[in-house]
Amino acid sequence: MAEVKLINVSKSYDQGATWVLKNIDLNIADGEFAAFIGPSGCGKSTLLRMICGLEEISSGELFIGEETVNDWPPNERGVGMVFQSYALYPHMTVAENMGFGLRLAKADKATIHNRVQEAAGILQLEPLLERKPKAMSGGQRQRVAIGRSIVQQPRVFLFDEPLSNLDVALRVQMRQELSRLHRKLKTTSIYVTHDQVEAMTLADQIVVLSPLQEGSNSNLEQVGKPLELYHRPANLFVAGFIGSPKMNFFDGTIETSGEEVSSVKLGSGETIQVHVNTASASKGDPVVLGVRPQDALTEVNDGNSVTGKVAALERLGAEAYIYMQHDCIREHFTVRVEDCQRKEEGSTINIGFPAELCHLFNAQGLAFERTRVPKFD
Amino acid sequence: MMVQSRNLASRVWTARIFMILFLCLIMFPFLMIISVSFRSGNFATGSLIPDTPSLEHWYLAFGLPWEDADGIITEPPFPVMLWLWNSIKVAFMSTCIILLLSTTGAYAFARLKFKFKEHMLTAMMILQMFPAVLALVAIYSLFDKLGNYVPWLGLDHLGAVTVAYLGGLALHIWLIKGYFETIDNSLEEAAFIDGATPWQAFRYVLLPLSVPILAVVFILAFIGTVAEYPVASVLLQSMDNLTLAVGSRQYLNPQNYLWGDFAAAAVLSGLPISVIFLFCQRWIVGGLTAGGVKG
Repeated sequence: MAEVKLINVSKSYDQGATWVLKNIDLNIADGEFAAFIGPSGCGKSTLLRMICGLEEISSGELFIGEETVNDWPPNERGVGMVFQSYALYPHMTVAENMGFGLRLAKADKATIHNRVQEAAGILQLEPLLERKPKAMSGGQRQRVAIGRSIVQQPRVFLFDEPLSNLDVALRVQMRQELSRLHRKLKTTSIYVTHDQVEAMTLADQIVVLSPLQEGSNSNLEQVGKPLELYHRPANLFVAGFIGSPKMNFFDGTIETSGEEVSSVKLGSGETIQVHVNTASASKGDPVVLGVRPQDALTEVNDGNSVTGKVAALERLGAEAYIYMQHDCIREHFTVRVEDCQRKEEGSTINIGFPAELCHLFNAQGLAFERTRVPKFD
Repeated sequence: MMVQSRNLASRVWTARIFMILFLCLIMFPFLMIISVSFRSGNFATGSLIPDTPSLEHWYLAFGLPWEDADGIITEPPFPVMLWLWNSIKVAFMSTCIILLLSTTGAYAFARLKFKFKEHMLTAMMILQMFPAVLALVAIYSLFDKLGNYVPWLGLDHLGAVTVAYLGGLALHIWLIKGYFETIDNSLEEAAFIDGATPWQAFRYVLLPLSVPILAVVFILAFIGTVAEYPVASVLLQSMDNLTLAVGSRQYLNPQNYLWGDFAAAAVLSGLPISVIFLFCQRWIVGGLTAGGVKG
């Protein structure tokens, strides 16, 4: 059990020629479950491997517990790692796989047996202990890989996209199992994933990373609780990354700025009221208006709305997605509605934006503070 | 079952006949040599089934005196069994050392980072392209000098031949390195996290999964060293120290070709290779790494 602290951790290859990670500052408390999330190429796996000790830290400091562990080899750091590819030793049985670390540490047979049995009990692996990995299903193999870490009683669990090789049904089941396991063991855990559902459901704290931009100072975008990231994204990247389907973004300018309410004029002429604090901005500043597909409303006739053409409609039964065309939209304009009535392609409809659910970002992509965020814990 | 085209049967038969003919072509020299070894007298030509079958060459090869129909007793001219034993000793020792050095070397080339790695690999490949025959003079004088300081590495010692054969391991390093690179790196990383040293990761994880390629390399190296002629013929001189490949040459004197005895010795020299192959065959299996990782 230990906290993990990163201070200005950076990673470069070829003596500083290419940077993957820059200035990552993080504090993961003892017993916390943290998730690293980001699109591919953002360095989240590299960061995990640096914490594990499989990759060197180019600069910065890594603390596990009280000590700086930059120069410690993986086994001395007291970490357990679960790989995406399971990485089980194919020539050993489940019991041998799980007891391998203890065997190397020259633990006596009784200790190995007890610890393996205990871990097998937690993961319901007892009937499989004498099997070889090739005689097991993907989910069972990943459980063995988790069991192998548990047996070592690490101070920190590291998961590198552990569920991405499993099919959907198994993934949901394993997700719940991991959650149960963390509640039971209360070991500090770090979980790398590109699946935001896994991050949102498992983590106490989510760390959003982006691919490092040329000249940027850091690629750590935001750290926070799952719902905080959803309701108060710090910038355009997080707003676009968290939440599915993606948030809709419109280009516009500030019409009136204010501490409680502001209004935005879109390029196409509509004026939208938003509950954000834009005291720092002034009339005419370019901004980006963000509205989540599920927050937008159809069939409104009051002012706060835009008019667009229906481009396509996907009806899923419980819900439907309307894909719209609009002059000021960036990428896609998606609206989620609960009625699945047919709408003619090319027909024009009004989409309302509730002022308290809108997000607003400045030209640099940083969010203005929302003033009427729905309550969340 | 897929629908087959109508002339499938004729094509299958053509292929079969081709393969049978090809097999005959390969088997014929081997059958010839067996035939010669069972033929009385020393004649290279004759029918495939000997007209006058006799075991005289085999008696002599096994070191037993042969009494022919006229009561004339022929003593075995050469210590063939000793030569065979020499061959086995040299081949076995050098193969074991080749295996040891090439696996550890291949591990370094496949997994560790060090300077000039690529250059060394290329250099090994290129040097291997020059036949050992070209270096015979060098090999001779090297071991001649070496013998002054380390007697068992001098000329006319089996130790010298054993060491000289180690020069061929570059090719095996390439072969094993290629196999190591197919094994997912995360297996060893998992072992490191479990507390293994690089040696333990190699010994307990990588090596057990590499048994098939080790068996292949063992067989290849063994065949190469048992059948080797040029280097052994230069380094070995006295009758008792020859290997079978070099020794058999003694039967073929310019005035007196003892084809029958030669044939018996030649068939014998194939024996250790066959035994090693049958023994190693069971390690050559696929699917050892199945189930370890999902890619």
